[in-house]
Amino acid sequence: MRLRSLFEAWNAFFFAPQSPIPIALFRIVYGLLVIATLTLLRPDWLTWYGPHAWVSLPTMHTLEPGTRLNLFAVIPQTDASINALFWIFLGSAILLTIGFLTRLNSLLVFLCLASIHQRNVYILHGGDTFLRVAGFFLIFAPAGAALSIDRLTIDRLIRIWHGKEDAGIQPRSPWAQRMIQFELALVYFATFCAKVKGAPWLQGTAMYYIYHLDEFKRFPIPSWFLHPLMLKLESWTALVLEFSLGVLIWVKELRYIVLTLGLLFHLSLEYSLNIPLFQWDILSAYILFIDPADLTRAWDWLRTRTAVQRLDQ
Amino acid sequence: MRTRPKQIDVRTNTLTKAKYIAINAFLIFHILAIACWCLPIDSPLITLCKDRVRPYFLWSGLFQSWDMFSPIPKAANTYVEATIVYQDGSRTTWTFPRMEQLSLTERYFKERYRKYAENLPLDQNDALLPDAARYIARLNSTPSHPARTVMLIQKWSFIVPRADGSYISEPWGQHILYGYGVKPEDLK
Repeated sequence: MRLRSLFEAWNAFFFAPQSPIPIALFRIVYGLLVIATLTLLRPDWLTWYGPHAWVSLPTMHTLEPGTRLNLFAVIPQTDASINALFWIFLGSAILLTIGFLTRLNSLLVFLCLASIHQRNVYILHGGDTFLRVAGFFLIFAPAGAALSIDRLTIDRLIRIWHGKEDAGIQPRSPWAQRMIQFELALVYFATFCAKVKGAPWLQGTAMYYIYHLDEFKRFPIPSWFLHPLMLKLESWTALVLEFSLGVLIWVKELRYIVLTLGLLFHLSLEYSLNIPLFQWDILSAYILFIDPADLTRAWDWLRTRTAVQRLDQ
Repeated sequence: MRTRPKQIDVRTNTLTKAKYIAINAFLIFHILAIACWCLPIDSPLITLCKDRVRPYFLWSGLFQSWDMFSPIPKAANTYVEATIVYQDGSRTTWTFPRMEQLSLTERYFKERYRKYAENLPLDQNDALLPDAARYIARLNSTPSHPARTVMLIQKWSFIVPRADGSYISEPWGQHILYGYGVKPEDLK
């Protein structure tokens, strides 16, 4: 490969304008997941983050020293101010979801999310971490360029009316979206690398331990799933899938196959394992791998079907 | 003289050159830094890279680790409970919410307790224990019935693989994680 073609491939990948619909859809799902996270936390906002929380602010500073992007370090440590921070966070997440002042609200959501994570890192699962890191890159993305209130400003509507602006969605540079895609692929690849270092994964016994961890049990698993041969197959399948989702997802011809297998993988985990929201946090970023043209086709198909159903009625 | 059009003009029709360079620097830095941070590769270069980016990652919230159930999944069922001894000599036991004893809905709301109870017994998190003991003391005290000591106990039962894939629950073992003498100011 010549250096020039590498340079061109880099530019095409990060900067060739594309429809912002995938990142806008991701913004909506991301916002809903943040709202769900905050709602589930609601009874314990003060339990985990209040002035008399399980982990005090000084203890947190001792265990996690250094300067952090953490609003809790600057706001008064009172119930009222901490509750206020959470309500602002929730309001901001709602506005981000509907795409109102999208850039500002993506910044606020990230700031608040990073703050609650920094305030107590001992209650976070992988899904929380993924939301935080994806939220960082979402700040830079044109997430409000489609499916948003921002697109309905009076000023813009007047410009469209006078023919000074195209009503269609303008293609945008997808570099920030690519970083979220990169992050998702890396999550899988890093997990794969960590797993192949462990004997239980290579020997195929890992799933035995996971299925028998009481805290993770959710719905009953068929007994044949626990047969030693099946356990081997399941452990190795997890490895193959994580490798594929980290590496083969970048191969265009294989992408939808890999994404479908990934979806089934996460749905099976959602059924069998109790890690609230984790699977959905990760699956949300699958949207970014869908070709905007396919999304448009799917949308048109859905609209046609709805219209036909209405006519039938 | 024929001039070749600049590549960035072709690809990045709306970006100025300065913005284009800044974004590329941002991309290259973050791709390399996140890869070094996440990938479990033992190399002096990776370690050096991690050390260099650590302050920025910790500050910005980009810190992350992806080692769920790996390299070795947890091989024991565990939970943490506390024995509270009161000023009058009576005692009671308080247990962190255990997911297997909660309804499906409750598990969604109490997930954070599962994670916290998983982190609490780890050696590197010893500094969490006094705060936990104080919280439990407050939770289980009344002005007329104040706690005197709190003892945090970890219980475990090993998961032992069997040749036919069946599972038999092993007996529960226990050890004391921490003992704390409650001070009057802890209960305020």
